[in-house]
Amino acid sequence: MTLLGSVLEWLAWWGYCFVVAGAIAVVLVRNPEMRLKVLRPLLVLGGVLVGSIFLAAAYGKLKPFPGFSWGWTSLRISITYFAMQVGSYEILPPAASNFVAHVLPFFELALGLWLVSGIARRYSSLLASLAFFCFMSAITYAWLGGKKINCGCGIGPDEQAGPGALLRDGKRFFLPSLLMMIGSFYYTRRKRASSVVVETIGSAAHAD
Amino acid sequence: MAHKTGGVDAYLPGAQGSTLSAWAALPFFVILALGMATVSCSKAAPAPSSAQPATTGQAPASSSSASPAKSATAAKPPTSGAKTTVKPAAKPAAPLGAPVKTYGSSNAPITMEVFSDYECPSCRNLYENTLRSLINDYVAAGKVYLIHRDYPLPMHKYGYEAARWLNASARVGKFADVESALYDNQNSWAADGNIGKYVLAAMSPAEFKRVETIMHGCGADSAGTKPASFALGQSAGAACSVDSYIEADRVLGNKVPVQATPTYVITYKGNRLPAGSGFVSWPILKQFFDSLLSQ
Repeated sequence: MTLLGSVLEWLAWWGYCFVVAGAIAVVLVRNPEMRLKVLRPLLVLGGVLVGSIFLAAAYGKLKPFPGFSWGWTSLRISITYFAMQVGSYEILPPAASNFVAHVLPFFELALGLWLVSGIARRYSSLLASLAFFCFMSAITYAWLGGKKINCGCGIGPDEQAGPGALLRDGKRFFLPSLLMMIGSFYYTRRKRASSVVVETIGSAAHAD
Repeated sequence: MAHKTGGVDAYLPGAQGSTLSAWAALPFFVILALGMATVSCSKAAPAPSSAQPATTGQAPASSSSASPAKSATAAKPPTSGAKTTVKPAAKPAAPLGAPVKTYGSSNAPITMEVFSDYECPSCRNLYENTLRSLINDYVAAGKVYLIHRDYPLPMHKYGYEAARWLNASARVGKFADVESALYDNQNSWAADGNIGKYVLAAMSPAEFKRVETIMHGCGADSAGTKPASFALGQSAGAACSVDSYIEADRVLGNKVPVQATPTYVITYKGNRLPAGSGFVSWPILKQFFDSLLSQ
């Protein structure tokens, strides 16, 4: 489990490089058909990478602390500790913070698996982009409120909520997710358009 | 018929023909009272705050008014005026140990160290809305051992001074009362730096005198000046006796590392958990402690 967590964290931390490189490659390809051919595997790879971000975040929040072993009790300890981090933002009342802390890690787990699976990629990447936007808004709120708190992201080294955390989250997490969303919508639209053209030509040839 | 006679007979009660008037008996009572006072002073344990000057000052006063007949033995120690004979009184009070800034029993399964600055509003918020409940509930029940660590921030003008007052108060056993007073009146003393007023209100005048003695050399004026060494980030040259305790806490904080106040470090049965910072509400903290204790 620790090895899996480490792999996920590495992918989450460095995956943005591959996604950005892939996006540049797609833009450079001029031929629309070739572009779609290049885009498809990149979307699969992007799904895995963006999904790994959420899986790593969930793992970071749920994993047992040093000295504790995996189990329901350690899970409860990790979740209640995360509730303290959510509460430190002072955005929500304690009850709501508690609820968010109990739900969010499992939401991230589910979303990560959804992204990796590739099912309805447009909607999963859209939800992922919205989630990152909310996280960054919370960090911005904490920073503007003068709160010096741990961002509680669960990935990478602890970082204080502030411009540094915003830059980090924006570059490594939000940008790949955004590119994934744009790419998946573009791919689906182009695919539909080309299939409509093919059908039209086919029906016209058939009529002849 | 009673009539006054001269000499000793006048002082003997019940003697035929003697008359005891109040005025005649007055010298007797004066001498008796002085003798009793002398005996009680020489036999009593030395006063806790007695510095040598105050103690030796008593000796001449009692010896000068002691009569030769009754108080000779009682006044022996102070009468001589020799400084070496007043063994228990001449010695200063038992040396004060390190300030005790903790709540609860060190045997508790959970230890929570809180690094805070007394001028920090978030620290006050944490103390008043969370730590008070924690102390009254889980600390009292022996579940949590709460330790306060000083981490005054440079941007707070009187934070370091407040820490000095608190450490001095802790050395005389008034940590909890003074901490409460400082946080409750944070807005007031943070505006003018008059911290001593609230420290005095939290203890008796005698205790405050002891605190003032400890604060001697700390530059505790109303301007709230910080030592030059604080501004430079270097350790002080032992001019203020409590600075070493504050610096020791800051060294611990730098190891965490503390990046903001309040920062708390929770240890459960020897396992140190990642440090947290910022405010945490009591229900959420309690929930976390419950999850640890259910382990």
